[in-house]
Order: sequence, then structure tokens, then C-alpha cells
Amino acid sequence: MLEYVLRRLLYMLITLFAVASILFLLFRMLPGEATLQVISPAMDEAVQQRMKAAFGLDKPVWHQYLIYLKNLVSLEWGRSFVSAQEVTAIISYRFWNTLLLMASGLCMTLTLGIGFGIVMAWKRNSPLDVAGTVIGLIFQAAPPFITGLLLLMIMSYRLGLFPTGGMYPPGERPENLIGLLLMPAFWERIVLPTITVGMYYLATPMLVMRDSMLEVLGSDYIELARAKGLKPSTVMFRHAARNALLGVVTLASIMVGFAVGGQVVVESLFSWPGMGQLMVESAASHDYPVAQGTFLMLAILVIGLNFLTDFLYSYLDPRITVSSEGIK
Amino acid sequence: MKRREFLKRAGVLAGSSAVTFLPGISFAAGKPVEGMTLLTANASFDPVRPEMGRLITQACKKIGWDVKLAAEDYNMGIGKVFTEKDFDMFIVRWTGRANRIDPETFTAMMHHRDGNYNKWGYNNSVVNELSDKQQVEMDPNKRRDIVLQIQKAIYDDAASSPIVYPSMTNAYREDRLSGVVPQVGEGIGSLWTDLAATVKGGDGYIRTGQTSPLKNLNPVSVTDSNEFKELRMIYDRLLQVGPDGSIRPWAATSIKSPDSTTVDITIREGMKFHDGTPVTIEDVKFTFDYYKKWKAPFFISSLEKFASNEITGKNSLRIKLTSPHAPLMINFFAQIFILPQHIWKDIPEKVNVDDVLKFANENPIGSGPFKFDYWDRGKELKVTANKDHFNAPKCAGIIRIAYGSHDAMAAAIEAGECDRTRYILKPALVQDLNKINGIVGKGYPSHGWYGFMFNHLRGPLKDPVFRTALDHVVPRDVIKAVVMSGFAEKGGSVIAPANEFWHNSNLPARPSSTKKAREVLEAGGYSWDSSGTLLYPA
Repeated sequence: MLEYVLRRLLYMLITLFAVASILFLLFRMLPGEATLQVISPAMDEAVQQRMKAAFGLDKPVWHQYLIYLKNLVSLEWGRSFVSAQEVTAIISYRFWNTLLLMASGLCMTLTLGIGFGIVMAWKRNSPLDVAGTVIGLIFQAAPPFITGLLLLMIMSYRLGLFPTGGMYPPGERPENLIGLLLMPAFWERIVLPTITVGMYYLATPMLVMRDSMLEVLGSDYIELARAKGLKPSTVMFRHAARNALLGVVTLASIMVGFAVGGQVVVESLFSWPGMGQLMVESAASHDYPVAQGTFLMLAILVIGLNFLTDFLYSYLDPRITVSSEGIK
Repeated sequence: MKRREFLKRAGVLAGSSAVTFLPGISFAAGKPVEGMTLLTANASFDPVRPEMGRLITQACKKIGWDVKLAAEDYNMGIGKVFTEKDFDMFIVRWTGRANRIDPETFTAMMHHRDGNYNKWGYNNSVVNELSDKQQVEMDPNKRRDIVLQIQKAIYDDAASSPIVYPSMTNAYREDRLSGVVPQVGEGIGSLWTDLAATVKGGDGYIRTGQTSPLKNLNPVSVTDSNEFKELRMIYDRLLQVGPDGSIRPWAATSIKSPDSTTVDITIREGMKFHDGTPVTIEDVKFTFDYYKKWKAPFFISSLEKFASNEITGKNSLRIKLTSPHAPLMINFFAQIFILPQHIWKDIPEKVNVDDVLKFANENPIGSGPFKFDYWDRGKELKVTANKDHFNAPKCAGIIRIAYGSHDAMAAAIEAGECDRTRYILKPALVQDLNKINGIVGKGYPSHGWYGFMFNHLRGPLKDPVFRTALDHVVPRDVIKAVVMSGFAEKGGSVIAPANEFWHNSNLPARPSSTKKAREVLEAGGYSWDSSGTLLYPA
């Protein structure tokens, strides 16, 4: 077991090293000078050089790469070219904002997706099954900005039920995360982006759950459970659903990665200061330290969650065990 | 006609070489004028520029000249123009920043042979000479006369083609705010609105929206007008640019020049930094020395003209310049922020960075009319009125909110969550908002302009006749009415009419007419082949 964990950790580190190196190269391949967004190109050449020297951009690329690797290892992710703030501080703040949005969106997606998937499989080919599939696919096909805009238009502008955006009312920044979570105004503001995210991702877990359920429902042990005279709800939830969950668990870890990086549109639409917005802002302004940091954070999250998922399998399915030879 | 005859003579002199020579200009005589590319930022950066570009390229085709439009990523475009200098023509928005009220940017910096902005190879000895002359002329009226001549020389040479002077399209809640004070180039996003406006009801804070998030709070590394607008609330300056573009005393009660290389500054008594420490003349001297020591990017070119600065009294200081420099008043004294010496003397050492440009200054302490409250990066900045200031704000403070898009900001104004815009809002949205009760949406004068710029080192763009024809080709009426929704004036001189003191009112926009453009080209010796393709003078 320990040997397996150590081996997996080593693989994780190698993957992260590769990701970090690719990120470094990619951002330096972007057209345009890094300093152009920070300083007017009309200023003296000496001033441009001054800016480059301050942030180490005057050094050869290989030298910058070595410094970058050294800083990564020592968890010193540098300072933003644009704001001079520490990258780790910027990311940690934005990360929590996105995590809140993502967690609420994915909770909604998974709860509704799994629930509907179970019922749709149980009532296969019924109008409910057809309607669920169609609605799920419509929301998946509709870009989030359409869903979000419609929600904003109806729920905020027309009916005035929800604020138009932000995480808290202007000028009322809470002291910390707990303060934020205790604000009713925060919960008012998270409803519409949550529905936008939730509905966009709904079809995937719902259809995966439905398919897994259909597979499980055809198994002998389900027939046996029915034959024993168990209540349909017990058969559905305790026997069938639990075994069908495995596919959704794998999917959930992948969805978390997509959800963190894929919130750009939703965050822009609802003026939500999260990671997605930060990725776009930093990449567009050639703020390499921040851009590299945000993408690396995303990679760590996806790779880390994959790692955890493997262990979660053994809990959900006793047939799967983790040993020094890997997962069996 | 003289020009045409000269061209013809030059062509004859050139004989069989098939190249027409003018002083500094050579053409492939009688050959088709080569196609070129017009570069603009893409629509996601500025929806207006690709539209203008499309209209201009279409109009160029009508004179038999093939021009392709390249709407590219803004950063890439900037790189092509300013770093690689690899471009034919481009469309740019020269924003009406407060410091650009001084004519230096639009005349010398853009059109002098050695001007920092002049990456397009423009070189006119008359403009060069006059630009040098205006820089050292300390008498504003005499300097104005020179600046009027420069504008005329640039206009006659069609060195740059101002397309339109766009208005600052702003919106505000009339039912919440009163006493807004528009400023030339800044509209109601000005400092003067921050100071004079009052809020009806609520907590008294003015909720101010902008689509670009605040990037930085370091007054030494600042170069962007977005950051200048926020830092000037927290830090005092010696002078301020007033609503009409004139200079107003601020922390300095007077700045006088007994001779052309001496500047005497006297500062106001009784000012205090937000931590209670008095503002002294030592702080002012420290500020100059500190900015110079750390080569503050925006200010270093001005500071390099300082030979010395010495304290001459309790509240006075004398600066000796290496040479006279007229733009100093607006470009330097009305921009630089007074730093508290007791805080900045230990920076960057105390904050464990090796360069002040890497200092985030997360808790800025100045002496300005607003005290820093908090900055939530990517979302909002909150400052509270400094009621002890000599020009204390009437509101309780300002909350600057970053919106993800123009639409989101307009929606927030409509919903009553935002009181006014700091910077421009899309013209179409301003029109829509203006129809709603309680909201004012309108355009305010600006000295900025959209420019159709030429690479003077390439092909036909070397020729003033050709450039003049291009200036006629620009469909300014359509651009003003359709692209700008009427929120603009047609462009003529490089100094806009909104900048009343410096503007040369004898230089109106050239009439938009393909016919006129063809006449100009014909008079310059250009012709067309049977398929209508434009040919160089034979």
C-alpha cells in the first residue's frame, strides 16, 4: 500500500514538472512583449529595460527557467508583473472564490444529476426519461452565457429577485471567509451563477448515472433483490444506485478540474472574482507569474483529485483493493 | 499643380530607371500601387476599431487601391507597431489622458523625428524644429503660437489622420448623484466629481463602475491612466488638471519660474498624511529624489531634466533644470504623487524585495482627499473621504467596482447597484440607459482621438499627396453616425477642439469624398489602368 502511494506520488511530481515546464514555454511563446501591458511602449528604451530588469525578464530564457524551477520547489511563485502582489496570495484568494462557486454548482449538478439519473433509469422510456434527457442536453448545448444572461434578464432585471452580480454588496467586504458565508447577501448572489453552472454540467452525470443504472438493473443480484420481495425504493437506492455511482465518481473528479478552469464566462457575466477570470486577465496581460501559477494550480487540483479518486474507488466498491502492485 | 509638375519633371529626369524620385521618396513609376494591410485591435478589445477599419478598407478600394484589414490581438498589434515596427497602417485610440492636455504628446512625441511615439518614421524638418522650440518656450501664449504652427504643418503633410474625436460616453444615476463635474477627457469619472458629488440616501458612498480591474497601487511604478485615477484620490499632487484642462494649484500654492531653468515651489501649510504625520517640504524633496533614484518609469524622463533641487524655506523648494522644459507643469507636477518620507525611506528593503517596482503597496498612505480602506483585487477598491483635507470630498467615499463587461456595468446602473461610470461605456448602451428615468447617459468632450496612422517609410505612404488622398477617403460621416452612434466629432487637427487653448481651429476635417481623393491623386500624378487599379506617378 505505502509503496503504491509513494510510486503514485512520484508519478504525480513528474507530471507536474512536465506541466510546469510546458506552461513556462507556452507563455513565452505568446506573441508580444511581456512589459507592453504594464508600461507604455512609447516610453524610453531605457525605461523598458528598467521594467524588464526588475522582473528578471532581461535574463536569457534558460536562466529564467532555472529560476522558475527553483522558485517552484521552494513554493515561491514570484510576484505579479502587474500588481507586484505575491502570486500565492492572489491565487489563494481567487481560488476560494471559484471553489465556492464551483462547489455549489457541482453540488447542484451531482445531486440533481444522480437523482434524475436514477429515476430516469428506473422509469426507462417513460415521458420523464425522454424529457430529462432532452432538457439536460439543451442546457449542455446552450453556452453558459446564454443561460446566465437569460437568468439575469428574467430573475434580476425583470423580476428584481436577485442582485446582478458580485460576491457581496459593494463596500461591504467581509473580514474573512466565514464572514462571507454568514452574509445573506452572499447567498443571494450565488444563486444565479450556481444555477448557470449547475444546469450546464447537469446532463453529464445524469446520463452517466442513467446508463450505469441501466447496466446494474439488468444484473442478477437486482433480480434476486426483487425476488426477495424488497421494496422498489430499497432495490433502487441501496442495491442499484450505490453500484452505479462508480462511473459518476470518476466523472466528478474530472468535472472539478473543468469547473475550476471553465468558469471564465460565468465569472465574467456575474462579476465573480475567481480563478477563471484571473486566468484570462493574466494570460491576456502577459503576467507570466500569475498565469503560470493559476494553470499550475489547476493541474495540481486535477492530478490530486485523480489520485484521491483511485482511493475512493476502494471504499465505494469493496471488490477494488489498493496494494503495492496497484489497484486491483 | 506645382507638385504635379515637379513630379513629372522628376520622372523625366529619372529617365529609363522607371523610378520616380522626390526628395527622400522613390516610387516604382507607373506601376500599380502595392496592396497594404490596415492593422487594428480586434473587437473583443474595442468593438469600434475593426468597424472603422472595415469602412476605411472598403473606401480605399474605391480609389483602386487594395487594402486588407487585419484585426488582431491588441498586444500583438502593439508589438508589431512599437517593437517590431512591422506594419503598413494602423488604427489607434489616443485616449484623452489628463497629461495629454499638454500638446507635447500629440505634437512632439508623435511627430518629432526623435519622439518616443514616432515609430512610424515621420520626419519633417519644420515639425522637428517647431517641436523643439515649443518645448523650451515657457511663456504659454508664445508656446501656443508655435503649437498652432506645428498642427498646421502636420495637417498639411497629412502625417496622421485623426478619424474622429470620440466623446467620453458616461452614464450616472441622476436620482442618486448630484453635483457631477465633467472634466475634459475624463467625463464624469473625474476627480472633480469624486470631490464635488453628493449621494442621496444610503451610506453616502459613490459606487463607481469600470470594466477594467484596478491593477496596481504603487505610486512609483504607475504608468497606466486607470491607476493614476485611483491613486490621485489617495495621494496629493502639487498641481491638478482642472475640469477645463487648465492647471490648478493643489498641494503647491504656487509654482513659479523666475527664469527658464528655475522652478520655485511653495507648498500649502497644515497638510497631513492619513496616519497623522504632517506633510513637509522635506517629503516633497524626498519624493523627487526617490522617484529619480528608482527611475520611476512614468517620471524619469522629466526627472532627468533636474540638475538639482534644494529646500529654500519652511515650505519652499527650488529646482534647477538642465534646460527649459515647458511640458513639465502638466506632465510632471500635475502627475507626481507626494510620498510620506517616513514610510518610503525604508522601501524596498523593509518589505524584502530588491526593487521598488516589486512593492505591492497594499496599504497606501498618502495625504489625498480620500483614505484607503481596502482593495479586493479583481473586484473593488474602497476609499473613505478625508474630511481633514483642504479640499474635502462631499461624499462619504468612493467604491470602485470592476465589472466583467460593459453590459454587466450598464445592467448594474439600471438596477441601481452602480451610481456612475468611471471610464467609457459603449455608446449604444449609453443611448439605451439615457431612455430610463433617473439615469443620464451622454457623451462628454475629450481631447483624445481615433487615429488612422501611416508607416512613413513604406511605399506610397511616404508621399504627402497620397496621405492627403487617404485622409479624404476616411468616411467620417458614416463612422460618426453609425460606428460611434453620434458620440463623436469628425477629426481634423491632431489636437482636438475640446483642448480649446491649444487647438488650431483653422484645420477642419477634410471632406470625406472618394471623388476629392481621386482629384488629389490625379493632381499628384497618380493614374489608373483600364481595370481601375491605382498606378504610381509615371
